[in-house]
Amino acid sequence: MTLLGKTVYHVSRLGLAAVFIYAGVVKVNDIVAFAGQIANYQILPYAWNYLIASILPYLELLCGILLLLNMRVRPAVLVLSCLNIIFMVALVSAIARGFDIDCGCFKPDSANPTSPLSALWRDVGLLLLMVATWVLRYVKQPKEIE
Amino acid sequence: MNNFPLSPTLRRIFLEALILCILSAAVGLSLNFKLIFNAFSGKAVSSPVPVNAIVDETAVENGVAVNVFPIPVELDELDELLAVGALLIDSRNSDDYQINHLAGAISFPLGLLEDQLADFRKQVSVDQTLVIYCSGYGCPDSFDLGVCLINEGYTDVLVYEGGFPEWQDAGYPLEGGGE
Repeated sequence: MTLLGKTVYHVSRLGLAAVFIYAGVVKVNDIVAFAGQIANYQILPYAWNYLIASILPYLELLCGILLLLNMRVRPAVLVLSCLNIIFMVALVSAIARGFDIDCGCFKPDSANPTSPLSALWRDVGLLLLMVATWVLRYVKQPKEIE
Repeated sequence: MNNFPLSPTLRRIFLEALILCILSAAVGLSLNFKLIFNAFSGKAVSSPVPVNAIVDETAVENGVAVNVFPIPVELDELDELLAVGALLIDSRNSDDYQINHLAGAISFPLGLLEDQLADFRKQVSVDQTLVIYCSGYGCPDSFDLGVCLINEGYTDVLVYEGGFPEWQDAGYPLEGGGE
């Protein structure tokens, strides 16, 4: 792989690691508030918001740590990509229903909430980073992946 | 399927991704078991942020702490409160209220506080028990409206934290025009 490819791979990987470790840590600190943000989307039954809020931050955190350590990169990227697509569907749903809510992407009690539309664009960017990480990881180790 | 060169690798990646999900679920469920149990059994779920703070320790009158924050109530307490004449207040926006709201609730959106407060004060006495709700846990409007009404002199202000989603999921009666 070229130097440019290696640079893009590591920048993408570390960027994703930073985003999801941060997202995981701030949500773990206040699961109830995160559940409230999921509830604001009005997609899941009441109690299921708590179930999802109790699991999702740990999944983000674990995947972020694996990306940081450059271990099990493609499984981590696969999980995060699936999550990202689910987030995007939820955001589109919120936009379509005219909800003016905080996206719930990061700090639950943030003074500067992010609108669903802004969050959607950010998720598109993250998805591109995930695709780059996935593809370049394969190029880097074509015979011994992960 | 076996002729596809990446399939064993992809299978391994999918398997490892599944293991990551299971591991995270195990950690999350074990660390938050009580929270999830309470949510599924309809009990109040407390946040570490001061949503449930009933008494502000800095607000002390004559050596006695006074309530400055609304008191949280659970779904199973609402029946009793409504039976003794508590007034349900929907603090969500007017559009949401028109679509659906808790049976018997009146609309008082937090965003229209200044416009509607004078009329509200004329119609509702300060000793009336008020139960305010919005879109469930994490929705701050009911709590914020409760604080405003306490500051306006209302003495018995409660917040139903589960709000509209919990009420709806419990199958309790709703009113409104629907979507």
